[in-house]
Amino acid sequence: MSHREHVEELLDAIERSKLNAFITVDYEGARQQAEEADAGELDGRLAGVPVAIKDAISTKGLRTTCASKMLEHYVPPYDAFVVKKLREEGAVIIGKTNMDEFSMGTSTETSFFGPCKNPWDLERVPGGSSGGSAAAVAAHEADLALGSDTGGSIRCPASFCGVVGLKPTYGRVSRNGLVSYGNSMEQIGPIARTVKACAALFEVIAGYDPWDSTCRNVPVPHYGARLADEITGLEVGVPQDFFGEGVDPVVENATWEAIAVLESLGVHAKETSMPNLKYALSAYYIQAMSEASSNLARYSGIIYGDRVQKDHDWHTTFSENRASGFGKEVKRRILLGTYALSAGYYDKYYLKARKARVLISQDFRRVFKQFDALIAPTMPYTAFKIGEKNEDPLSLYKVDINTVPINLANVPSLSVPCGRKGRLPIGMQIIGDQFNEQLLFNIAFQFEQSTNNRHAV
Amino acid sequence: MITKTDVEKIARLACIDLDAEDMQAFTMQFNAILDYFEELEDIEAELTELEEHNVLRADEVTPSLPQRDALANAPKVENGYFRGPRIL
Repeated sequence: MSHREHVEELLDAIERSKLNAFITVDYEGARQQAEEADAGELDGRLAGVPVAIKDAISTKGLRTTCASKMLEHYVPPYDAFVVKKLREEGAVIIGKTNMDEFSMGTSTETSFFGPCKNPWDLERVPGGSSGGSAAAVAAHEADLALGSDTGGSIRCPASFCGVVGLKPTYGRVSRNGLVSYGNSMEQIGPIARTVKACAALFEVIAGYDPWDSTCRNVPVPHYGARLADEITGLEVGVPQDFFGEGVDPVVENATWEAIAVLESLGVHAKETSMPNLKYALSAYYIQAMSEASSNLARYSGIIYGDRVQKDHDWHTTFSENRASGFGKEVKRRILLGTYALSAGYYDKYYLKARKARVLISQDFRRVFKQFDALIAPTMPYTAFKIGEKNEDPLSLYKVDINTVPINLANVPSLSVPCGRKGRLPIGMQIIGDQFNEQLLFNIAFQFEQSTNNRHAV
Repeated sequence: MITKTDVEKIARLACIDLDAEDMQAFTMQFNAILDYFEELEDIEAELTELEEHNVLRADEVTPSLPQRDALANAPKVENGYFRGPRIL
């Protein structure tokens, strides 16, 4: 099959789809890039491979909305670093995927363009915030996708949709061109149907970029070449703190069965504990909201973004523009972040959250002296129903209980399918020390090869 | 305990107009969320232990975004400038 034929197949699938996984599809650009690949004009490691990109990542000349009314008509004048890398390697950019507005959510329900649906059950959420990316890959509407993960936004939808997703080490991938939400915690990462494909995409996007001052200059290994490296004798920790109240017993069992598979491959598993993880949810939300209140201050409707027709004085104009352009969850987080940073409350909330982050990082440093990696359920349960958690924001925040500690500690975590509850996929996360993504891929690859959890809708 | 007046004040600080319905709902929700955050109250730790790396690059002049591209997304433009609301 030619690249053009393959792209046409995907575009057809997107046309017929009930998922609402895409906000913008680049029909013309995708066809043209595929034809160039067929003509041998594109070379590189991803020549002709269709990739979907979360709509929080800037694409030159292709609308980038962050699923917000505020950026409904925003067309970036430059490519994000990772998009430049994709183009250099010949990838076909097929479109921009649906997400929670400004990446704030766990279900892809807060999108201005309507909720995205789970390919395994159209009444359920795909997870979030990179829900469109995971749903598109699971449903064969794209071969690969990029997401971003501030508190679980790649791993949650990967888990709910039955695909593989990596939240990289903080500083491993450039954030240049990623619309900022919680910038001290977020990373762009790959989503794919197999570990090998996930590693291949990661290899392309990882690496130093002088335009992100938090991006580290560490050599990028050839991850794909070492997937079969020996894992016998590895020490793996299973922190009981990830199996707390609210974890579905079916998910718990699936995780333990996966651990048994790893043991049969010669990995040693042992229970451990990380007592400070109990603070992770509060610490994460206070920091994410505080950073959001500052990062989203740029949306005033003057330089770009939604602007109401009539101008008043600047305060009224800004306040009206922002009231009209932002959805409820975005307003909620900006306001709570503003409060947490305001005089008199900074010490009580923001400073305490920073201190909790220290304790949580110390927990991770301690366990990584003893273990090569950690295993835990990615999500406490399988995909929930659309609308089920809309009434009470706190109950939706609690869904992130197992994913947020990883972002606070700047470490990498790879979510892989490890079972099902009925039709619905279950994911486990393999967590490693900083810049140790290779080991996560190796464990996941060999687990995947010895099980049959790979899903195709 | 956070009141409707507090939420109004925060909304003003954040430059976001809230309608009555949001004001009501947010006041209730903020109390529940802030109550939950209270669990951090007794935490003590040295912030110097946070691992944060800033990687600096050489301060070299390189071409920047052309003016036309920088203005392309602005709702109101005049003589090559962004046009904002009046200050006074």
